[in-house]
Amino acid sequence: MNEYDEKWEERINALLDGELSADDAERLKAEASDDRELARAIVEAYQLQKAMDEVKVERAPASLSKRLNAIPREHSKARTFSFLQPRWAMALAAIPLVVITLSLMQPDTPSASEIAKARQEMAIAFAYLDKANAITSREIESSVGHTLADAVTGSVNRAIKSQNLNSKEKEA
Amino acid sequence: MKRLFRNKFVIGLLCTLFSLPVIAQEDELKDLPGYVDFGDLSLTYGEPKITINLGGTMLNFVGMMSSSESPETSEMISKLKGIRVQIYSLEENADVARSQFSDTKSNLKSSGWEPIVQVNEDDEQVLVYMKAVDGNMEGMTVMVVDDEEAVFVNVIGQLNPAELAQVMDQFDVNVDLDLD
Repeated sequence: MNEYDEKWEERINALLDGELSADDAERLKAEASDDRELARAIVEAYQLQKAMDEVKVERAPASLSKRLNAIPREHSKARTFSFLQPRWAMALAAIPLVVITLSLMQPDTPSASEIAKARQEMAIAFAYLDKANAITSREIESSVGHTLADAVTGSVNRAIKSQNLNSKEKEA
Repeated sequence: MKRLFRNKFVIGLLCTLFSLPVIAQEDELKDLPGYVDFGDLSLTYGEPKITINLGGTMLNFVGMMSSSESPETSEMISKLKGIRVQIYSLEENADVARSQFSDTKSNLKSSGWEPIVQVNEDDEQVLVYMKAVDGNMEGMTVMVVDDEEAVFVNVIGQLNPAELAQVMDQFDVNVDLDLD
């Protein structure tokens, strides 16, 4: 680009676009008659504009138009069924596994018969504790007599009970 | 490489999630300070004639069922975390059971259990031990070995023996025991 292009570009473009006033157009014309470079720049710009106006809009081939028009629809379709993509399919498949796993981690709610069975088992366990208590009481009684045996078993029970009370106080 | 790592991560995560409930059930009682390992006498005497393993979850349900009948019983059960019973019939000689009794007794002593009552007769041994941690009762163990049977009872949690009779009456369950 020469110095004239930079200097006169704006005015030449305005002239060609019809935006230059009549006075400015006459002034530019006078200057061009004295300056060959300016005159040549105006002529070249005019020829370029004319050539651009003569260029026709070529229609795209039908197959290309069809493919280009299909792009938005395909894009939209891909979004709609994006859950079929591998990563989503894997995530969806994992959901039942996680649900099953979490349900396994939850404590099962026992049936009424299971609770009744547990109650029976607890009673059996306590009966054996009671049996041991009876044996120890009998042995103590036979060794030290009834009065002292009561005192011993009583003190044992108090000792255990004090542990429970201690726990209650700590909880409070 | 990135995909391989992701697959391994997902598989590892699923395996961990699936194994958690099993691990939790196995360790529910074993990890508690009131738990006692009684060993295994089944090689000598066969399977125990009575085996009871009640965990905290089941005990909670039993306690809830008892709350309407007796709030006191329900409260007592709520303090229990587990109940374990193993009872073997000793048709053959009781020496192995007595040996296991002594081993368990030694283990109890070395792990901070305190003797409450002990009866040492020629034909009958009874032992009641209690475990307390920081003043809190964590468990009670009763072992009885005579010529006919070996009884191992482990109550995990807090239990006052004086309340047993009340609970037995409340349960109104027929338990047929030889209380000789």
